[in-house]
Amino acid sequence: MTTSPAAPDPVIAMSGVTRRFDGLTAVHDMSLQVMPGTILGLIGPSGSGKTTTIRMLTGTLRPTEGEIRVGGEDPQRFSRSLRERIAYMPQLFSLYADLTAEENVGFVAALYGISWFGRGRRIRRALEIVDLWDVRGRRAGQLSGGMQRRLDLACAIVHEPDILFIDEPTAGIDPMLRQQIWDELRTMRDEKRTLLVTTQYVGEAEYCDSVALLAEGELVAVDTPEALRRRVFGGELIQIEAATPITPELVSNVAEVQSARQTSPRSLMAVVADAGTATPRLMETLAGAGIDVVSLEEYQPTFDEVFAELVRARRAQRAANEEAADAA
Amino acid sequence: MLRDLWVRAVRITSFVGKELREVIRRPGVLASLVLGPFLIMLLFGIGYTGSRTPFRTEIVVPRDSPLPRDEAFYAELAPGRLEVVQISEERADTERRLRGRGIDLMVVAPTDAVAQLRAGEQTEILVAWNEIDPVYDGLAHLAVATMVAELNAEIIRQAAAEGIDLVEGELGPRVRDISPEVIAEPTAAVVENVAPSEPTVLNFFAPAVLALVLQHLAVTLTALSMVRERLSGQMDLFRVAPVNSMEVLVGKYVAYAVLTLIVGGVVGALMVFGLGVPVLGGYVAAIGIVLLLAFASLGVGLLISLVADSERQAVQLSMLVLLASVFFSGFVLPVQDFIGAVQYFAYALPVTHGIATLQETMLRGEVTTTWMIAALAGIGVALYLLSLLRLRAILRAAN
Repeated sequence: MTTSPAAPDPVIAMSGVTRRFDGLTAVHDMSLQVMPGTILGLIGPSGSGKTTTIRMLTGTLRPTEGEIRVGGEDPQRFSRSLRERIAYMPQLFSLYADLTAEENVGFVAALYGISWFGRGRRIRRALEIVDLWDVRGRRAGQLSGGMQRRLDLACAIVHEPDILFIDEPTAGIDPMLRQQIWDELRTMRDEKRTLLVTTQYVGEAEYCDSVALLAEGELVAVDTPEALRRRVFGGELIQIEAATPITPELVSNVAEVQSARQTSPRSLMAVVADAGTATPRLMETLAGAGIDVVSLEEYQPTFDEVFAELVRARRAQRAANEEAADAA
Repeated sequence: MLRDLWVRAVRITSFVGKELREVIRRPGVLASLVLGPFLIMLLFGIGYTGSRTPFRTEIVVPRDSPLPRDEAFYAELAPGRLEVVQISEERADTERRLRGRGIDLMVVAPTDAVAQLRAGEQTEILVAWNEIDPVYDGLAHLAVATMVAELNAEIIRQAAAEGIDLVEGELGPRVRDISPEVIAEPTAAVVENVAPSEPTVLNFFAPAVLALVLQHLAVTLTALSMVRERLSGQMDLFRVAPVNSMEVLVGKYVAYAVLTLIVGGVVGALMVFGLGVPVLGGYVAAIGIVLLLAFASLGVGLLISLVADSERQAVQLSMLVLLASVFFSGFVLPVQDFIGAVQYFAYALPVTHGIATLQETMLRGEVTTTWMIAALAGIGVALYLLSLLRLRAILRAAN
């Protein structure tokens, strides 16, 4: 008898978690898991419940209902040894403006019990990772907004944590720097660390191993970025552009095509199970129909489109449910 | 075990270093902390004379009165307290000047005091003043009491000189061998102050100013420190980090105790070596009291910082503590002058005990009110425990 290797336990697990503030539900019935060595992106617009979720996961906020486990422990009763392995970067700049960048990182290192002897090397590494070593002597209050966010990140990683909760690391930061920060986060993931990162930039879902989309305090979907795309559109997308007008009926008979819709008089968007096998069949069919194809390629919808589609579907579902309830 | 202690020490020192750096980075604040108290003491010592300006007094001596009309005579009745500006015979004019605040005191001498005395009646001297300040009202009472005693003696002296057999019943015929001065003033005080240091204004108030400044410094700095951290989200970092409320609190205490003692040392050195204030009880005792005062005062500040909703409220509460300290600590008015319930409030302020014990150890060479040392320590411990409980509740997850 052979046994397959057991799947690793999730580092972070939420089950049926709800948080209310004075009757207002900030997070409703949320369940999700984050596997070790991965990045989960908690993505949603401002006010969707991301920070409330991350605060419950770090133990700074108590859930009204539900169960949370981080590293196998209840956040309300984290052991000291687990705390030493966790990092939390709050949404707002929370460091000391009168201390230099190096002193701020040193303070957090000492907070995590790192003594003077081992501190210097770690401070340097953390500041080098976020590219702030050259301005280490500058006071935090004199750094730009982007630098302050990176300093926050340096403080969060100086004790080399295994589990990182990072709240909006790229908020208000220019695109170049956002890319740089995500590169740093992915490097940490590659070092087998587990990260839960919130962002309001839906497009940043691309950088995550899995994505949890939030809207109005509810979890709209959780999956890998690719699977979410497939789920929203029912398969892979192929965009067809022709030199002359075309209609969906021209491709509807192709076996691989699940559906097709007109996007302009001379273009179509076809949903297929597998773009690789469907592309030659479509080319063949259109050529057979005498259509001069300008381009035919797989289309990667942006996550803004995916998110909008998911929220639209969720609202439609909710309206239908309410209608059914009213009818009953 | 040892590793755990070491890690705790590292965490505590993280706060010590951080707090000290933050204060040092504000040189203006530091300068005012060190130089400010010394300059206040210097100004107070140089500027305050310790005695009230004599009351501008007008004496009304009726036309028929045998009492003297010499201004110097009346001024000597209460030396230093009365400045006789005029002797008049018309009471109505003098009264008008009193109501118009042209003079401070009006004294109306009796028309014929000796005749009244001879008739066995007590003579009345009318004294009036126009004062709304309770302190000066009390001083006026004192000046009048001194003056009336002297005036009585003068009347008796005059009567005795005229041969009135006032005390014949007690002394018999021998009374004629005694001079009228001795009959009028049978006892004379020979005064001596047995305190081991000279009671100058500077010496007396310097320890009080030091205690008040140390308490204010400790309260203000700590009150703002924790409020900032609570409002700016840094508490969330502490909640997640492996640091507990005791380590945070001890770190703050040590940092601000170091700072307070440095400032206290500088101010104390300027006071002792610059202004010549004695330290009769020795430096160890004085430093011990300063340490206890700092400990208790830091507790006041930390408690404020843990209950205040904003920096503004923390500053307001710190100023209220300062105001209460100025009024009730014995700095201006003796604590014993307040009613019982208010005295309890006064003794709840660390500076009340700090002033009394510092004055005693520096100016008398020993602390006779040892219960005040215990009270100071007790206040410190109670405030530490209260702060610890409050911080623990804050660091717990929000409900």
